[in-house]
Amino acid sequence: MKKTMTDYELIEKFVKGEQSCFEELIRRHKSKVFAYISLYIRDQALAEDLFQDTFLKVIQSVKCGKYYDNGKFISWVMRIAHNLIIDHFRRVKQLNTVSNDDYESDLFNSRKLADENVEDQMIKRQIQKDIRKLISELPDDQREVVILRHYSGLSFKEIAEITDVSINTALGRMRYALINMRKMMEEKKISLTFN
Amino acid sequence: MAKTSTPFLSYHEIQVGNIDIYDDAFGLSQEFSDVFNLLDQLKPVPKKRLTKLLIERVRQMN
Repeated sequence: MKKTMTDYELIEKFVKGEQSCFEELIRRHKSKVFAYISLYIRDQALAEDLFQDTFLKVIQSVKCGKYYDNGKFISWVMRIAHNLIIDHFRRVKQLNTVSNDDYESDLFNSRKLADENVEDQMIKRQIQKDIRKLISELPDDQREVVILRHYSGLSFKEIAEITDVSINTALGRMRYALINMRKMMEEKKISLTFN
Repeated sequence: MAKTSTPFLSYHEIQVGNIDIYDDAFGLSQEFSDVFNLLDQLKPVPKKRLTKLLIERVRQMN
């Protein structure tokens, strides 16, 4: 059976000149990183820029020898993404530009299913918009845990490390987030109306 | 050991790949399955074009 290389093994080979190894890392982690960024940044073009910037910054840091293996490559990458998001919001605040809420673009790639009719697609889009709103209405600390856990697939241990809290606190935030979302679902009468 | 006994699994044979032990211990998935089912309707994934563009930029850097 072919052994899958660890993230660190891929990084080591990349530093030694094996270009394809970083491409493998991108393929391995792209969805986690993109999910995290796109749930914070509503402007699709900007989310895509930050997504690319994250990986480019990872390369720069790896080449400068700033990554030391501790088996937490993805946590480190997510922290870079997190910092880029924070930087962006700081810039926006300084420039006092329009809020991200002004964007109505649909960030999420809807699967083009041939057997879906227009009505189904509209319902799906509405549900996705509702979910987005649910998540955006959560307190910052709860929202972060939901995104990192559910959409980026990180473990509570990794989330605790990224957010600088204990595992119990991360679990508690997740629980409160779920309770809050369920409450909002009931209040706003949001439910799945299709399978 | 009787012939009908359950085969013993070694620690490394236990599949825990996608299970978070804390999540599992807290039973969040079971208790909030309705919320998770709703959240699952959102699948933010980068478009192929974006991944391709990123890989091209990475190649240019080297």
